[in-house]
Amino acid sequence: MKQDLPFTPKLLDRCISCGYCLPACPTYALTQEEESSPRGRINLMRAVQIGELSLDQTLEQSSFCLGCRACESVCPAGVEYGTLLEEWRSAAWQGKNRSLILHLLLFAVNKAWRVRFLGLFNLRNYKKSEPAQYSLMLGCFERGLFPGVSAAAATNADVSVCSSQGCCGALHAHNGELDRGKEMAAELGEKLPGKILTTSGGCAAHLASVLGKDRVIEYSQSLAARIEQLQPVLINGKRARVALQDSCHLRHGLQIFNEPRAVLAQLADYVELPGASDCCGAAGTYAILRSKDSNQVFDKKAKEIAKLDLDYIVSVNPGCTRQLKTQLRKRRIKTKVIHIAEFVALSNKL
Amino acid sequence: MNLEALVELLGDKVKTDAVTLTAYSTDATPEYKAMPDAVVMAESTADVVKLINFANEHKVPVITRGAGSNLAAATIAISGGIILVMTKLDKILEVSKSEMLAVVEPAVTNVNLDDEAAKYGLMYPPDPGSKTVSTIGGNIATCAGGLRGLKYGVTRNYVLGLEVVLGTGEVINTGSRMVKDVAGYDITRLMVGSEGTLGVITKAIVALRPRPTISKYGVAYFNTLADASVAVDNIVGAGILPATLEFLDQVCIIAVEKFAKIGLDTSAGALLLFGEDGDSDDVEVKTQQMADICAATSGVISVTRAKNVVEADQLLFARRCALPALAREASLAVSEDVCVPRPRLAETVAKISEISKNRDVKIGVFGHAGDGNLHPKVLADINDPAEVARLHAALDDIFTLALDMGGTITGEHGVGIAKLPYLERKVGKAQMELFRRIKTAFDPNGILNPGKTGS
Repeated sequence: MKQDLPFTPKLLDRCISCGYCLPACPTYALTQEEESSPRGRINLMRAVQIGELSLDQTLEQSSFCLGCRACESVCPAGVEYGTLLEEWRSAAWQGKNRSLILHLLLFAVNKAWRVRFLGLFNLRNYKKSEPAQYSLMLGCFERGLFPGVSAAAATNADVSVCSSQGCCGALHAHNGELDRGKEMAAELGEKLPGKILTTSGGCAAHLASVLGKDRVIEYSQSLAARIEQLQPVLINGKRARVALQDSCHLRHGLQIFNEPRAVLAQLADYVELPGASDCCGAAGTYAILRSKDSNQVFDKKAKEIAKLDLDYIVSVNPGCTRQLKTQLRKRRIKTKVIHIAEFVALSNKL
Repeated sequence: MNLEALVELLGDKVKTDAVTLTAYSTDATPEYKAMPDAVVMAESTADVVKLINFANEHKVPVITRGAGSNLAAATIAISGGIILVMTKLDKILEVSKSEMLAVVEPAVTNVNLDDEAAKYGLMYPPDPGSKTVSTIGGNIATCAGGLRGLKYGVTRNYVLGLEVVLGTGEVINTGSRMVKDVAGYDITRLMVGSEGTLGVITKAIVALRPRPTISKYGVAYFNTLADASVAVDNIVGAGILPATLEFLDQVCIIAVEKFAKIGLDTSAGALLLFGEDGDSDDVEVKTQQMADICAATSGVISVTRAKNVVEADQLLFARRCALPALAREASLAVSEDVCVPRPRLAETVAKISEISKNRDVKIGVFGHAGDGNLHPKVLADINDPAEVARLHAALDDIFTLALDMGGTITGEHGVGIAKLPYLERKVGKAQMELFRRIKTAFDPNGILNPGKTGS
């Protein structure tokens, strides 16, 4: 039981400080300093838990962490770092420790009607809400920024669409409002019947953590049964050359990474980006709240993408799409960025 | 200590904030924590010299640290002082194919060095379980071993020369690039395993070997770890010196399977992973011979050969994860590192299981069976003081057992703080005195890693 402690003791006890996480951590790679590694941060959490450090003292590290959870995939001890980070931020990111911009972002998605407002600027007609195999999740900022994604998913899969749905609460859970984030996921679970189809890796992982894995299906997973019917995407008569950028939470939280690759291998000339599983630096609100660090994280990826001479870099999460687009444009790299649902839509109609 | 003077000397490489100090208050050893007074991130040999001179002047301890994956509390600031962090010195300076050697800075990891060597058709054989994180400097300071010890030896067999900053602040270059060099005492060998008590390693010349082109693996399950130990003795007794002979008991198999999910037989009492590498058909012959010997050993349940490289890699990966994976089984898991003569391996593992019963604590045992090197991991609930006390009693029994068997208290993890109380029982009074005199010659003011070996 957690009671009034900031962290669930059982989760903190799990780490044995072996350090196997160090090579997986993008911020440790930047600094080579223990306090910006997962093991170091858990040490800080432990010090907070027993009162040796104050939450304020650890604020910088709680925010420097991308929350990519790459450390979880390499942790033989099974430390649930992502959950610990959510608890950390929920305890530390309160009051004056929360920036105005974060207040605004959380406010915008807190109520379903405000999320609908985000989608108002695009007047696409989604399919109506007839009973179907899946309920499509429209996302919050995705609705405003990349409306084509849901539209593409709606045409490519057997889905019903409920347009009065709100946000899944991932944004809250990852930014210091864990309880509200869970509440929002539960509300969305009630609103959307059956299996929820999502086009966002980050939302998929958060929803699954609250509603259970059985209630959630990620877009590329939903194509598995008819993957062979997909026709190649051709550019000048040749199969498009594409690579995938993993979604961190999809990969490290839900272990979904083979599925989108299988889809792309069917549709295109697929090449593996060397650091495909490394965080792109989007990391939810990170690219907005810590743009300098986010740029630095992207440096290596920019070189890798430029080297591959791709037609498209494919994303499975709206935050990554935004980051890839912004960063590649800034660096004058011509590779086009596309969400996997939109890429599938380029193929022959099913 | 005059921290301001230190900052004046080394600028922003010095950190004294509570967050940094907390992050460097532990290594990978459970139950040990101590706050340093400062942390210094070295970026050159010159930085190290400055720091050592400062420490001599102010009589403060300096504890050198690489990846902090030490398991004997050798990098804990037990008497305060300065943690000297080497992680920014992580360059491979040179690989010489014709001389089959590499020159590296201390914080290069095993994996990075081995990957670089592979580009030249070479390999760096020492292969500790933590090779993705552990550094060459740390490997040398503890004489790290690993999974290939039986055939290839351990770190001490691969260090040709070192650049060392002594406790006096003098910089010396030991050894050389040559295989043969007997000019003077073998200071290189003395530095290996010295755990940061004699000097700070700032550069290393390490030997590389031709990279084998073929490797084959197999796995055998047994009723008990003692049965697997008999198979190990039979294999080496038949004149085979394989690249890999690793075993896990059932407690470990279950924990590893939970993480790796590769279909290990969790109902078996023990698993033996055997493998050979080389460049000829001999690899296949030897691997099959090992499989046959296992199949003919009493208590065997099944023997299978890995079908391909992927399967073999999975098995090796599973073995490497045994230590941290055991953390799943209890909130406190203390890993030990005893080593016994191979013919007494079966007897030793049987006795460890008796200790587990007598002390009423769960013990998971895995290890480098071919080397007689056992890692019994004793498990307890950290919030149950009585059980924690039984855990320590069991550890004490295990050390005594190893010594009774003609073995040693540590095979590859080092002495650190954790095993210092047992050191004299292993080496005797006269040698302990000699250690201290050696320590004084290298570090007259006793600033280097006090409270560890040689203090």
